[in-house]
Amino acid sequence: MPIKAIRQTAIGRNGVGAFILQCKRLDFHYCDWAGSSRGMNQFLTHLLPILARTSPSIEIHVSPRPSHHPVIRGHYINGREKAICVRNLEMQQVLKKAELLRDASGEKLRRVKGGRAVGSLNEGVRGVWSPMHGAEKKEEMFGR
Amino acid sequence: MKPLRLLRWSGTVLSPRARPSPLTRPSFHQYLSFPSSPRAQSNVASIFDPEPDDTTEDPPALSRPSDSPDLLSMPSPPPYRARESAKLAALHARLSLSPRLPFETLARCLIDSTADPDPRFNNSSLALLGSSLLSYYTSEAILCRFPRLPTEVVFASMWAYCGPKILGIMTREWGVEVAAEPGGEVDAGYLQCRWVERKDSTGQPTVPDVKEAGKIRPNADKGWRVGVSSRTVYDNQFGDEIKKQKPDGETRKQQEPIPLEEACANFVNALVGAVYLHLGRRATKVFFTQHIMSRHLDVSKVFNFRQPSRDLSRLLAREGFESPVARIKSETGRASRHPVFVVGVYTDNQELGEGTGASLQEARFKAAVAALKSWYLYSPLESRVPSETLESGAKKWEPLMVDMGEVIV
Repeated sequence: MPIKAIRQTAIGRNGVGAFILQCKRLDFHYCDWAGSSRGMNQFLTHLLPILARTSPSIEIHVSPRPSHHPVIRGHYINGREKAICVRNLEMQQVLKKAELLRDASGEKLRRVKGGRAVGSLNEGVRGVWSPMHGAEKKEEMFGR
Repeated sequence: MKPLRLLRWSGTVLSPRARPSPLTRPSFHQYLSFPSSPRAQSNVASIFDPEPDDTTEDPPALSRPSDSPDLLSMPSPPPYRARESAKLAALHARLSLSPRLPFETLARCLIDSTADPDPRFNNSSLALLGSSLLSYYTSEAILCRFPRLPTEVVFASMWAYCGPKILGIMTREWGVEVAAEPGGEVDAGYLQCRWVERKDSTGQPTVPDVKEAGKIRPNADKGWRVGVSSRTVYDNQFGDEIKKQKPDGETRKQQEPIPLEEACANFVNALVGAVYLHLGRRATKVFFTQHIMSRHLDVSKVFNFRQPSRDLSRLLAREGFESPVARIKSETGRASRHPVFVVGVYTDNQELGEGTGASLQEARFKAAVAALKSWYLYSPLESRVPSETLESGAKKWEPLMVDMGEVIV
């Protein structure tokens, strides 16, 4: 019986080769009239062009949303979206929120536990402890 | 907060209902016959420079013509619309493509032949080139790294790195979105194709079946056993059967839908082809290394042995070793509910592999598998690939080890 093969796909590791920024689109919604949009409107006039220039891989949509609080909404490659209401925030605070959305991965926020902050698919160079092989070591050590 | 219904607002523009039905759509050649048709401007790359200089000049943009024809009547967005698409520019930046690769070409890579049957505007020619390049680079990377891999495992590894499924996954990871329905008025940053869902239970696609004119393989109708070595000759790079299509008139109509992963694979292949034509060989290699070879595949998990003990004894006989002997190395709890045996296979008192199991048979089986894997997964410490010698100033090519091949049982 010849050797068969099991078809499986290679697993992607973002950042090992190419790095794909996970935020693919940012929507900015503002209101021309309401006071809660003051910081957002300043942000759109002064800081958004700089933000757009520094992160060209994000598609940016700006659209009015009259009589509502201003909102930044991020769309991510995994299909999720995150929205942050930026009512009554200053221009720089809005920028912080936009950068937060830009740098997010789109995953749900969850606590990263101590030892598992970095995961790897490679085998450990040290190997895995085996209960089968203790006796030989012991014999070697004690010269039995 | 009320959700925004942007799609509803813009629905009058984007809705397929606003478009004439495909049956009443004028044929493509009708509006190509206009003397000043903007779509006559093909963006095929000219003869490329294999070692291009690093001057990054912006290619001339195809400007919007003054007498733009009706977009709704077009099967796919015309090239001049590529400059207007934010989505496309974002994709270009996301993939870190050089500015020497124009947006128009990237937009053309996104147009599948199911959306636009005209080969001057769809990605079929680029996809053919890119598919050849991808299979060449992948196969040389696999074979030079593991020169003793059995052919079946090579096929499966090729499929794991550049098969249609992985290219579909990669397209999603790049954030490419698929247009609900292709058309000239759709944003050029969407993947334009007509697709159908695959059936999950049987794995067969629900597409109308290709009218086969027969198979490439001779004597296919006789039902003879298909050997592995013949598959390298008659089958495609993944070991799948190539089906011959009927000549003109009876071929599958281009407009019939295909599975989505095939359309995505066409896009990725076309992009590789476009990178090769516009940016040269070195950039293609970098693109391949960064996006494809950087993925993780444990080749030792691809193997599927049926009778490893017999394979091992045949292999040792071929290589001129003594026939293998399995010996118990240690055991515990033979009479208990959970015995554990450690068995090693030896030839001439040299241990080839070791396995543990709850029965002697299982442990011997695993030991033989471990021995076979350590043979087949031999990897030279320093391996080069043939395409490295094409670079200027590369060291002279030293022949690699060529293995006899897998054992035939």
